[in-house]
Amino acid sequence: MSHINQIIALLQDHSPVLVVIVLLVFAYMMPLFARWKKEWCAPLALTSIALSLGFTGLLTWEVFASGPIRYEMGSWAPPWGIEFLVDYIGLFMLITIGIISLLILTFGTEDLTHELKEKVQGWYYTLYLLLVGSMMGLAITNDLFNMFVFMEIAAISACAIISIKSDRECVEASLKYLILSAVGTGGVLLSIALLYMVTGHLNFDFIAAGLENVLYVYPNNILVALALFTLGFIVKAALFPLHVWLPDAHSSAPSPSSAMLSGLVIKIYAVVYLKLLMRVFPAELFTIIPIFDIILILASMSIIFGSIFAMVQKDIKRMLAYSSIAQIGYVFLGIGLLTPMGLSGGLLHIFNHAMMKSMLFLSAGAIIYCAGVRNISDLKGIGLKMPLVMAVFTIGALAMVGIPVTNGFISKLYLALGTLEAGKPFYLAVILASSLLNAVYYFPIIIGAFFGHHHHDEYGEEVEEGPKVKKLPMAMGVPLTILGLGCIFFGLFPGVIMIVVERAVGMFL
Amino acid sequence: MIEVALRLFENKYFLVAMILFIIGFHTLLTHSNLIKKVIGMNIMDTAIFLFFVSIGYVDGAVAPIIEPGVEQAYINPLPTVLILTGIVVAVSVTAFALSLIVKLYESYGTLDAEEIMRIRSNEP
Repeated sequence: MSHINQIIALLQDHSPVLVVIVLLVFAYMMPLFARWKKEWCAPLALTSIALSLGFTGLLTWEVFASGPIRYEMGSWAPPWGIEFLVDYIGLFMLITIGIISLLILTFGTEDLTHELKEKVQGWYYTLYLLLVGSMMGLAITNDLFNMFVFMEIAAISACAIISIKSDRECVEASLKYLILSAVGTGGVLLSIALLYMVTGHLNFDFIAAGLENVLYVYPNNILVALALFTLGFIVKAALFPLHVWLPDAHSSAPSPSSAMLSGLVIKIYAVVYLKLLMRVFPAELFTIIPIFDIILILASMSIIFGSIFAMVQKDIKRMLAYSSIAQIGYVFLGIGLLTPMGLSGGLLHIFNHAMMKSMLFLSAGAIIYCAGVRNISDLKGIGLKMPLVMAVFTIGALAMVGIPVTNGFISKLYLALGTLEAGKPFYLAVILASSLLNAVYYFPIIIGAFFGHHHHDEYGEEVEEGPKVKKLPMAMGVPLTILGLGCIFFGLFPGVIMIVVERAVGMFL
Repeated sequence: MIEVALRLFENKYFLVAMILFIIGFHTLLTHSNLIKKVIGMNIMDTAIFLFFVSIGYVDGAVAPIIEPGVEQAYINPLPTVLILTGIVVAVSVTAFALSLIVKLYESYGTLDAEEIMRIRSNEP
């Protein structure tokens, strides 16, 4: 009995690192299983994410009981060793990534057999788990160089889950993404060098302490570092002027990859950027350079232009991809507002948008899987043939527009209150305008899908139009239903996730 | 004027690293040949590595193998170690980019990004 207790205590002590390690270990086992027992791959991949989610649950319990947890790698105390810090924002991201990626992969187990070649399916799980693991690492790491390494793992695996489909659009989109994200990580590494030069540390807390002292000795180093971090993270998070890689990448990828990239990957960089701004750079620096105002401007441009570009798209996945650019703008708007309400709205929108956008991409994927169409004009009347898929699509679209009862309403409400709290009503107008624009491009799809007119032939009889529709498999229907119900649930009871968000905001402001 | 030149000479490693960085970045952005883009990316990465390593360098110091009883300055080994990881990462990104370019060449028959754009826009 005592042995079991010992093992439980051991797991509990090491749970911050196990969250990441489990995924990395399983990732490298996948190709072996793909050769040996092919049918085990999918259940094992799901198990590993579930295990990681289990450790996240353990961490949640511990953090709520006794405050943020610091974990020293190999018992090397910082500043020498790498440190993981599980605080409320890290926890919030762990929960978001764990739940959403589990649902997406459940959907993917069925969808991938259709979209990918037989021999690369095992490798897809490797890349997917690496991506999830590196994002979880990014959420809780407290060390700059460790952050860089996780960013590169995330970048390569994110590019690879696009190009794995190996038709030429995917390869081209993936190469574009790879080159731009290499510029981004290059900038980040250079700014790590600049910060290391003046402080001699890589641990977030030690750098913060160091920067307080040297801010006026080496202001140029710190300003250039801030600029390069901003460049790097804006490229990665696809904020407006540097979003060019996103539409191709997110629309051509296999549907589970699109859901993953749009739902989670671009958000994690926003969170890491927020952590750097708040916990590493001294607050005095922002009196020299108004970085938060710059973020606000870029965010509102992202919101408006993303929505406008989305309106003119013909391909449904491309439209969703442009819509993601608008939605990442909301997250950055929350960061830029810098008021408790605004930041809560921005962070809450990370969780809410992860749910709705992955749901929308997955339902688009289900439509492509079952009906084989992806042009918006071909979707007329499809709601009657695929009621479940179009019902969740409708919920997602309503949440995007921000209709009450859906979760999108709650985060937009917080953001709107945040703009008033900050005394910047202009951005309230931006939020309202973008909600209207969202309605302009989402509602015609829904109306067409459910009330699309039937053609009549010359004898006045109705003609079945549109493609033949396959039956929706269980593995696709269940995650879609869960996500759809989740959107409503978190619209009615936002308090469940707000407990974590409020504490995360309390850490910063 | 001479003062500026002297200060630049003092920081010659940083200066060279920055020049290389700009060359790499310029190549990456302006050349339409995909292989040259990857080369530019590598020059850029190398510039960052040089910059990082030169942070830890101390003139006249030796490698940090401590001999008891001998008083001498040591260079900082940490940036070198970090950059070892950085090089591995850069190599894998390069390999991945090149393999993608091979696939593009197979389907388009050209390495020129603008040519590929032109072919794609002519397709229905």
